[in-house]
Amino acid sequence: MPAVSRSNLILGLVCVAFALGVALIWVPLDTHTGIIERVRGRYSIGDALAPTVATMFILLGGVWLALFERRARSQSVIDGDQLRFISAMTGVVVLGVLIMRYTGPALIELINQFRSDPLEYRLLRNTPGWRHVGFLLGGVFMVTGMVSIVEHGVSRRAVVTGLVATLLLIVVFDLPFEDLLLPPNGDV
Amino acid sequence: MRKYVAAAVAALGLAASAVSASADDWAPPGPIKLMIAFAAGGGADTQARLVADALETRLGWQFIPEQVTGGGGVNLLRAMQDEPNDGTVIGMIVAESLGYNLFTADVGLSPADFTPLTTTAGAQMGIVSRSDTGWSSFEDMIAAGQGGQEIRFGVMSPRLADVAYLLGQAQGVDLNIITVRGGRAVLNGVTAGDMDVGFMAGIQGAGVAAGDLVNLASAMSTPLVQTPDAPLIGDLGIEFSADAFFMFVAPGGMADAPRNALSSAIAEVVSDPETEAGALIQRAFGGPLLIQGADLEALVTQGFDESSVLLDTVSD
Amino acid sequence: MGVLDYIWLGVQAVFWGPEAFTLLGVYVSVTVLMVLAGFLLGIAVGATPGLAGPFAMAISLPILISVFGYSPDALLPIMGFLIGIMKGATIGGAVPAILFNTPGTPDAFMTTLDGFPMAERGQAQKALRIAHFSSAAGDTFSDLVLFVCAPFLAILVEAYLDLPEKAALLILSLSFIAAVIGGSPAKGLISIGLGLLAVYVGTGEDFYPRMSLGSEELSRGFPITTAVLGVLIIGAVFKSLEEYWGERRHLDPAQTPPQAGDQRLHWADIRRLLPYIGRSAVIGTAIGALPGVGSTMAATLGYTVGRGRYQKSKSARDPQFGEGAPEGIAATEAANSSVSGANLIPVLSLGIPGNAAAVFLILAADSLGGFNPGPAVFRFSADFVNPELVVVFGLFTCMVIANLFNWTIGGVFMRSMGFMINIPKSLLLPSVLLLTLTAIYVQETRLEAVWFALGFGVLGYFMRVLAISPLPFVVAFILGKTLEETSRQAYSATGNDPFFLVSSPVALIFMCLSVAVIVLSGRKPKGSAE
Repeated sequence: MPAVSRSNLILGLVCVAFALGVALIWVPLDTHTGIIERVRGRYSIGDALAPTVATMFILLGGVWLALFERRARSQSVIDGDQLRFISAMTGVVVLGVLIMRYTGPALIELINQFRSDPLEYRLLRNTPGWRHVGFLLGGVFMVTGMVSIVEHGVSRRAVVTGLVATLLLIVVFDLPFEDLLLPPNGDV
Repeated sequence: MRKYVAAAVAALGLAASAVSASADDWAPPGPIKLMIAFAAGGGADTQARLVADALETRLGWQFIPEQVTGGGGVNLLRAMQDEPNDGTVIGMIVAESLGYNLFTADVGLSPADFTPLTTTAGAQMGIVSRSDTGWSSFEDMIAAGQGGQEIRFGVMSPRLADVAYLLGQAQGVDLNIITVRGGRAVLNGVTAGDMDVGFMAGIQGAGVAAGDLVNLASAMSTPLVQTPDAPLIGDLGIEFSADAFFMFVAPGGMADAPRNALSSAIAEVVSDPETEAGALIQRAFGGPLLIQGADLEALVTQGFDESSVLLDTVSD
Repeated sequence: MGVLDYIWLGVQAVFWGPEAFTLLGVYVSVTVLMVLAGFLLGIAVGATPGLAGPFAMAISLPILISVFGYSPDALLPIMGFLIGIMKGATIGGAVPAILFNTPGTPDAFMTTLDGFPMAERGQAQKALRIAHFSSAAGDTFSDLVLFVCAPFLAILVEAYLDLPEKAALLILSLSFIAAVIGGSPAKGLISIGLGLLAVYVGTGEDFYPRMSLGSEELSRGFPITTAVLGVLIIGAVFKSLEEYWGERRHLDPAQTPPQAGDQRLHWADIRRLLPYIGRSAVIGTAIGALPGVGSTMAATLGYTVGRGRYQKSKSARDPQFGEGAPEGIAATEAANSSVSGANLIPVLSLGIPGNAAAVFLILAADSLGGFNPGPAVFRFSADFVNPELVVVFGLFTCMVIANLFNWTIGGVFMRSMGFMINIPKSLLLPSVLLLTLTAIYVQETRLEAVWFALGFGVLGYFMRVLAISPLPFVVAFILGKTLEETSRQAYSATGNDPFFLVSSPVALIFMCLSVAVIVLSGRKPKGSAE
């Protein structure tokens, strides 16, 4: 008989532990009203009840998994390859977003080294050119990076795809509309 | 507070008030972030965006609207804390946000940390029930309550819940107070029968005109335009009222020039029925209600200070 | 204001709405154009393996909101577009299924079984015509059922259900979805629990935002777009790309065998197919009305029932199911398409989204304001106009218009979409991801929203790896606040009765059903977790 996978059991126990942790530690520490509160002479449901109920669902599911489905015929596992993949993808996206956020202000800082009257990115953020530069670089990096990971290698068509996609997005979101902000212009 | 508001409203009337002329020369140094404390697509959000549109058309100022909802407006106020006060950031809230909500949120802020600009309109807040309950006056409802009937009273904010509670206590009826999210939820609840009566801030207009709903009382310090004979809440045994104003606010310590320029510009577009913003205000509220400058500061401060009294009274 | 008045108002709103314009002196309704555009886009997206209708809805929504603005006037054009996509995608999925043995959407899998053999015999065009006819018929049938049932159900609920019963009904819906989706009710429960937990962060009645770890970023909670798009779209993109990454060899551009013979659909053919279409339409509609049960199960059931009948009535010359029987295509396509109309019954009448498309309709309504799907919408009041009810009838009108487009040009367009399979997934999906993140930022204007969406995307990826379905998560996220508010109100309204969920007979029945459905689902024989 082939060895039965233990992943449902493990997943179930992890869920149970998580649910108990949230219900007994996080929720009580991070809510200001309890499960039932006395307000205006009456009792009413406090803020802590709903999240606690949510954890009950997770707890129930975890217990069920660990007890009743531990011998299910096919169980899913997370393998090392998948972890590597998702880390690489997430890394590329995070880096891309950071590029979007800081390119504009960084360039301004650089330029300010040579100016007596310093510019502020915040005031320039609606002018064409400045408002696109972060998004363009970050977007191209992100798409090219992801395509390269998936195709196991950087190629010209990856870069072209990144450029086309990012430029298309600028055309669709930014050029026609006055009110819309591409990253990072809503935050600075 | 209600006596103060009644006096202020009487003094100002419902016309635009004149503001100092030193506002004319100011222009914003960059695009203006317009923070909106209301959910997208609702009436209040539409009002804010229309005001921005009208100012863009009239003065060429650029606005970037941004939703900052939650906490009864306190989230917007907290987010506004770190913003510059040179006129590039303003927000739209209700006056209650700077009063009761800010007080109870207990985040170390008070109205003094902000620069109130101007109110735009006052909501026609009434105590409203379905006409098929058989109640045609506030007394009818109280009589039913005292006769043992359980009365479900819908409210849409914590302050209104406190006011409703005190009203019930003053009248000797133990009301079943149900807090829901937003004025429309009260309307839906009352119409569906989940609640018997509730506060409604103008949304009852069509229903009252059609005869499905009835204004039992005015929750403001002034009579309801639609039902002027309905009693005022202040005459029903409590000293608090439920006036609701929409207003614009800016980060604290703003200089006079941007403050006056923004206040008068907003007041102008809101009072002009030719603009979409003005037309909306006319349709929804019967006209603008403008309180500005030092008057507005006094109003919000009083609301803030009065909150501690309200809370103490409730917990007795 | 009777029903007919509202229907007329709805039709008016669609054709003469505030967003219309004139072209060459001819009056053009923007909403009708939007329905058409969405329909065509839906077919194209359905015909692309790796993309599904919900993807297109997710991506178009922020673009549409930017075009039309955040006002209730935009409701009909935008939701008309989304409805168009929904209907287009159900027929688009059959195209690569028949031509290249690859389902364009998961529910088209059964279509490959008989569609591709027909294509191999040179009858691809005919197979496409059969698929289109069956789909359109099933879709129209379920729309009619929707038009009748949704108002009826909503009025029943409003008249007879008080707050505790409404809370119990929400719990029943969540349990039902947990139980029926995927192979494991335990994992469904976990998915729901996570979704509820996520929506309860940063929300709540007290001024201190609960579970926000004191941070300002979390104090407003997770915006609904980040959770929905993150888990449903970004998570799916990651999973799809991972599968592509793992394949050592990628397939050459797909080819169809040469076509020959009479490709037209004759009346004789249609008459033979009608019983199968009829049976499958009823099955699909019944299944679609239940939240959480999707078009794939409907397609499977329709196919199985159709095969049973076919065995009894076929002649010796006819091919078996699975060898190119036209009835096979008809049975499965009618079933999976009749789910789409019925799926809107729970969402329009009760506000409960039963599938991904309904989730996006709710997202649109939520973003635009002025329309809150739920029983309160169907209030036929005596003297004044209920704008939400006008919107509903406007939506019904859009569906009828989409069906008309389907019957007229749908077939032609669908048959020309064969090339979509050749678009490389490795280039398309990363672009979709950038588009999603950009769209989220444009709507929320803060970078935290992008981080949240990415986090939900990673969560969605791991959930898919562990075979935990993401749909219960999303439905729980959407319904969580309503559930909490209804429960709070019910508790207050019943005078602080802690057993409010079980004190009335109807509520008690709902609660017992919730438990029963989970237990029963857990006891059925376990196949592989889907």
